[in-house]
Amino acid sequence: MTDSAQALVSDSYKYGFVTDIDEDRAPPGLNEDVIRFISAKKGEPEWLLEWRLGAFGRWQKMSEPKWANVHFPPIDYQAASYYSAPKQKAAPKSIDDVDPELLRTYEKLGIPLHERKALAGVAVDAVFDSVSVATTFKDKLGELGIIFCSFGEAVREHGDLVQQYLGSVVPQGDNFYAALNSAVFSDGSFVYVPPGVRCPMELSTYFRINAAKTGQFERTLVIADKGAYVSYLEGCTAPQRDENQLHAAVVELVALDDAQIKYSTVQNWYPGDAEGRGGIYNFVTKRGACRGARSKISWTQVETGSAITWKYPGCLLEGDDSVGEFYSVAVTNNRQQADTGTKMIHLGRNTRSTIISKGISAGKGQNTYRGLVRVQPKAVNSRNYTQCDSLLIGQKCGAHTVPYIEVRNPSSRVEHEATTSKISEEQMFYCRSRGLSQEDALSLIVNGFCKEVLKELPMEFAVEAQKLLSVSLEGSVG
Amino acid sequence: MAVKTEAAPYLDVFRPNAGEPAWLRDARAKARDAFVARGFPSRRDEAWRFTNLRPLADKPFEPGHGKLELKPGSLPKGAWFASMARTLIEKPEIARRAIGESDLAGGQPFASLNAAMFADGFVLALDEGVTLDPPVEIVHSAGDGSINLRNLIVLAPSSRATIVERYCGEGAYWTNTVTTVSVGAGASLTHVKVQDEGPEAIHFGMVRAALEPAATYRNFGLTLGANLSRQDVQVAHGIGSIVDLAGAYLQRGDQDTTNAVVVDHAAPGATTRELFKGVLDKRSHGAFLGTIRVREGAQKTDAKQTSRALLLSDRASVDTKPELEILADDVKCAHGAAVGDLDKDTLFYLRARGIGIDEARRMLIEAFVLEAFETVEQPELRGHLAARVRVWLEAA
Amino acid sequence: MLEIKNLHASVDGGREILKGVSLTVRAGEVHAIMGPNGSGKSTLAGILAGRDGYDITRGSVIYDGRDLLAMSPEDRARAGIFLAFQYPVEIPGVNNMYFLRVALNAGRKARGEPELDAGQFLKTVRNKLKLLEIDDDLLQRGVNVGFSGGEKKRNEIFQMAMLEPRLAILDETDSGLDIDALRVVANGINRLRAPNRAIVMITHYQRLLDHVAPDFVHVLSEGRIVRSGDKSLAAELEKTGYAGVGV
Repeated sequence: MTDSAQALVSDSYKYGFVTDIDEDRAPPGLNEDVIRFISAKKGEPEWLLEWRLGAFGRWQKMSEPKWANVHFPPIDYQAASYYSAPKQKAAPKSIDDVDPELLRTYEKLGIPLHERKALAGVAVDAVFDSVSVATTFKDKLGELGIIFCSFGEAVREHGDLVQQYLGSVVPQGDNFYAALNSAVFSDGSFVYVPPGVRCPMELSTYFRINAAKTGQFERTLVIADKGAYVSYLEGCTAPQRDENQLHAAVVELVALDDAQIKYSTVQNWYPGDAEGRGGIYNFVTKRGACRGARSKISWTQVETGSAITWKYPGCLLEGDDSVGEFYSVAVTNNRQQADTGTKMIHLGRNTRSTIISKGISAGKGQNTYRGLVRVQPKAVNSRNYTQCDSLLIGQKCGAHTVPYIEVRNPSSRVEHEATTSKISEEQMFYCRSRGLSQEDALSLIVNGFCKEVLKELPMEFAVEAQKLLSVSLEGSVG
Repeated sequence: MAVKTEAAPYLDVFRPNAGEPAWLRDARAKARDAFVARGFPSRRDEAWRFTNLRPLADKPFEPGHGKLELKPGSLPKGAWFASMARTLIEKPEIARRAIGESDLAGGQPFASLNAAMFADGFVLALDEGVTLDPPVEIVHSAGDGSINLRNLIVLAPSSRATIVERYCGEGAYWTNTVTTVSVGAGASLTHVKVQDEGPEAIHFGMVRAALEPAATYRNFGLTLGANLSRQDVQVAHGIGSIVDLAGAYLQRGDQDTTNAVVVDHAAPGATTRELFKGVLDKRSHGAFLGTIRVREGAQKTDAKQTSRALLLSDRASVDTKPELEILADDVKCAHGAAVGDLDKDTLFYLRARGIGIDEARRMLIEAFVLEAFETVEQPELRGHLAARVRVWLEAA
Repeated sequence: MLEIKNLHASVDGGREILKGVSLTVRAGEVHAIMGPNGSGKSTLAGILAGRDGYDITRGSVIYDGRDLLAMSPEDRARAGIFLAFQYPVEIPGVNNMYFLRVALNAGRKARGEPELDAGQFLKTVRNKLKLLEIDDDLLQRGVNVGFSGGEKKRNEIFQMAMLEPRLAILDETDSGLDIDALRVVANGINRLRAPNRAIVMITHYQRLLDHVAPDFVHVLSEGRIVRSGDKSLAAELEKTGYAGVGV
């Protein structure tokens, strides 16, 4: 790689600044006392503390999953701090009470939290390290009976709903990272859309890791009651630091009869530098239950950041005629590693799922699609269509496709197709001979390759995602 | 030495044979140690996650006997086709090539067990430029116990051969074969195997093939018999070599079969075509695991893998894992997998022409299966495979 | 020969497509059923041949005194009903000749006639092939595999010639044909007109009717036959469009 290209790569992470703010944090290490500390800090009821301790007990008996195609030095779970919150005198009642330094941080990230400045039609819950610092448009949503608040507030104000659904999609002991999250999660977002209500605006959480030597363990729970609709967006950034930081989130979605949830993620955690120093370990468990008949859950993700990504947003298609979708773009450049895909578990009759995955590998990046499509005996007449395409840019990167297809029902039809290709010299030459720069040509071709996924994103996010793709691949050709 | 429980019975019956050459005794001892330390694979082993080994673990097999019949036709000069037992005595320098490092390492436990225990097998070796025509045939029939066969096919540069293996038998027995294949530069091998073991039998077959530049290796497998069976084919490409791997598995009752193929492109310019067809009726289970690996530098690789399965009954099931590992950028790689029932529109078309539903289904299944053997060059051989498929279908 | 009475049908559990169709077809007659897209033409053809996926909610279809709707698709074919598909299905791996022979002999067997041996069969094929200007090599391929649109349609009429049905239903057989192919197909159909055979042509346009003159023309609209007449009705439709006849 040329020096100028090198410079481009290291310049390319725009969100690598650190906010200087007083923080309240737990001492490093993980034990029952730390969990009690977190729970006490958040003023949680007894049942939730018990739930956390139960998860911790399970976690202690588990080991990290080894099957993913990702490689990293062992993580010392006792060295990190499991709670970090910006110090505030009291919980902010409104945006005006929020520390101006925090507000400036979000402005710099392009997420203004003042409602008058905010993006039209997008309500935001901003999570800074371990806590939610602000949620916009709450009142307006409240008029429709929609609950959109931080997880902590949901525990206090809507404890019954939280208790009913927490862990009902991703059980405490689902996997190593989910168990860890269940023990130590600090905050996150909570959404409840009542029966028959179509949420009029995009709901959005913006996650920011700021503090050093902490992990972030947020928990998101979205419930769409019968006939409800909600579109939810999630964005993430972190400062540029030389050490690796762990992000182990859990997202649970529940769709009841005729409900629809659309969940979109643009993940742009700090990916580490060109030599693979630093960057976020993004070990995330996301799952949706299409619990009701004719319900639908659609995951769209654009994964450009993180040193390592390990996530498989899936759908449990329990209700008859329910629909699951997974649209994914994952980019790995430099020494990034991504092992991502989905699980579609067909349980109900006439269930349908679609998987479109686009993996782009550049530099020394390793990109794995890992997916499971399982059709259970009772899922008569179910359908799955999967398409996995990989694009390789350069000779040092890798693309891997590992689908599992398990069918227990003869009336169902499962189709899987995968291709691997590179950007052809012809395509590049054609673009350049029409006056495009090399970078622009690459960006154009890559965006074309990802089009089927990008079109699933809400408008505001699609533009950002396109830019992000170009930035992530800077320096990968030439 | 730690001995895995399930491996112990096989250790007990292991007897060194003083009459064998030292290299072989040494290799057998190492392979035995590797096997007993490793034991059977479990479902936690990725390559075995879909294979239920209970029928084998439940009841250890005593060493058994089978009848190995070699049908050479007319052998040209420069061709060696004989039993492994005879080859060990008369051509030990050839026989030696049948055992490799991986047998001694224990990564493939049943190949290690085979190396430790085998008594016979077949060897086909052709000198440079020799063409073998018509095909040679091997028929193995078994009756009881465990039978380990160690086979070897060595084609020197520019030679050509077609070989047909057939396995059958009656009773409860376990056939465990390991075949080492080496195809020289510009040589061409067509390797056909019909597994038609008895309904109580267990059959494992492992093929490890290494190709030199511009070699062609075609492997066709038809799996019909056995209660539990597994066919592993592992191929290492040479520069510009060609691999055509195809298989059909037809199962019913509570039969269980796995096809596991790994094709390794470490050299540039090689071509792989894989096509596997499964038909699963009653309570049977089938699995296909296919890996295409393209290593760094293996540019201009052209690989395509297709796996399709038909489920004919509510209780039949299939697991498929088609895997691509690509570490070179200038390649064309694709895989496709599909599971379903017969296409309803096609079935209706046939019925609308007066063909009864059972007959229509049979015709469509037959066509579906035989696509796997379309690239078999010899029409008689293709016809033979089609006839076996028809017999299976008509037995329904 | 065929008596359709007040036939109501809907797509499985859904919308009603046929809302009371009645039609009588006698031996030797050629009927044309015309109508705009979505009027239910192909549904009617599918129901007559026994295609899955329709609920018959009311009405009856009697063919030669038998309840047609109770018969399986293959029994209908063996009893002399032939559907020329709008979209002939490709069947890879099933040889065209083999397919035809199995189909032909299934019908013969059902009628108590002796099966044709390979030689007799081949002779019949040769005769009929000329009629439709079909290349020999098409017969050696999989059924309809790699056939052009026109070849598929010609193959349908060739199959009809081979199977010699008593009631042929031609579903949009003219669609996708260029003028030469249309003439060949029409010629084939005309040669198959016979006093003991009835033909029902389903079509959107009248161009096939320029070559194969129908005895009766019916206009199907929104699941009902709204007008019936002789071939002059087709000419009227050509001039005024479906709107012109009040559809």
